[in-house]
Amino acid sequence: MSLMTMIAKMSEGLEKTCAIFFLTLLFAIPLGMIVALLRMSKNKIISGIVRFFITVLRGTPLMLQLLAVTYGPHYLFGADISRNKLIPVVIAFSINYAAYFAEIYRGGIESIPKGQYEAAAVLGYSRLQTFMRIILPQVVKRILPSMTNEVITLVKDTSIAFAVSYEEIFTIGKQIANSQTSFMPFVVAGVFYYLFNFVVDRIMGLFEKRLNYYS
Amino acid sequence: MKKYLSLLMAAILLLALAACGSSSDDGSKFIMGIDPEYPPFSYLGDDGSYTGFDVEICQAVCDTLGWKLEIFGVNWDQKLIQLDAKECDCVWSGMTILDSMKEAGYVISKPYYFNTQVLVVKDDSAISSSADLAGKIVAVQLGTSGEALLNEDLSDLAATFKSVTTCDSFLKCFTELSGNAVDAVFVDLPVATNYVKEHAGFKILDEQLGAEEYGIAFRSGDKDLCAKVEDALATLVSNGKYAEIAAKYPDIVDNLIFLND
Repeated sequence: MSLMTMIAKMSEGLEKTCAIFFLTLLFAIPLGMIVALLRMSKNKIISGIVRFFITVLRGTPLMLQLLAVTYGPHYLFGADISRNKLIPVVIAFSINYAAYFAEIYRGGIESIPKGQYEAAAVLGYSRLQTFMRIILPQVVKRILPSMTNEVITLVKDTSIAFAVSYEEIFTIGKQIANSQTSFMPFVVAGVFYYLFNFVVDRIMGLFEKRLNYYS
Repeated sequence: MKKYLSLLMAAILLLALAACGSSSDDGSKFIMGIDPEYPPFSYLGDDGSYTGFDVEICQAVCDTLGWKLEIFGVNWDQKLIQLDAKECDCVWSGMTILDSMKEAGYVISKPYYFNTQVLVVKDDSAISSSADLAGKIVAVQLGTSGEALLNEDLSDLAATFKSVTTCDSFLKCFTELSGNAVDAVFVDLPVATNYVKEHAGFKILDEQLGAEEYGIAFRSGDKDLCAKVEDALATLVSNGKYAEIAAKYPDIVDNLIFLND
């Protein structure tokens, strides 16, 4: 197999890798905010439960969670396994990443001094207005480097989807490596991941620059 | 204080390195690379240690040659890379001999098992032959000869499928089948026989596809090692030990080349 055919074949998998990446971000970013707000809830029971789930999601391997979401319902209730593996993959990834994002959001929100809330209250802002107009914009700015870290990890984590037979780029690479008894597909996969992350890094860098309006 | 700390760190590092190096070959250890999820050839037994036909035979070979057997579970789709990396001395686990292995220079033993591929479907499935698979989804384990066949010799058949799902273990293939995510599993006959016997609700189609043989793979240049193992195998066959072990695995006896010459 020539290098060009190999790259062409693996590009097909790139589409599926991108599908996991974008859909996970789409769901995990807002979900993480909900989780973070619940985690900071004044109600001890709610924050306790959420805290427990976060420790479970961060304390067990993503691959295990992926297997649980995909095959769990079948083993527990005899339900059919989804033919479209993108669904369980995105569910598992979104929940897992939401847990990480939530903790980053929480760190960001709690880093804002109390005085700002008091100042906002004096100026007559409602709690929602204070959060949306004053707190959130600062939080976004502060957490961006940590978010870049997670997003880059997400790109590489997509390869875990092979555990449930979702044919993303690394799976196809493995298949070619097998049939050709060659190491080359792994090199190609490595280059693909690097380029993907290079783009991600640049885009996140642009955001950071745009938000750096005080210096 | 800092100086002592760094000295301590250095000592720990050295120890760690020494621990890694201690697996140096004293010439008498033989590391067998197996797929730990491949009954009846190699699998994790009820007592928690690896067993299976290949494992028992290899143990007997090592006993004959006075070697100490060590078992290493390989990642099946990277078995040859792991062999090259000297993580194991051979791959011996119901491994189908492929031309590409020989072309890549690996030393392959004489074949010891004659194998075919079969299709496994659910009991109530309407599929009765490979011709009924048009527009269906078929599961296959990555790195197995079934996968290679669908890509090469049987690519015409594979072209009629709706799609092929590649799983990282054959157990997942069967899980997918049981959960209706695929319509059939394409797998080696002994594995299929073993699985269907232990799990209700599946049947093997009476159609054998793709004849092939199992062998043992060694690194290129390990011709002597291969010859030693082959000689030991011949001894075991002639003194009846081979047949004795084979008798414990009635499902595969008929296809063992050494016993059916």
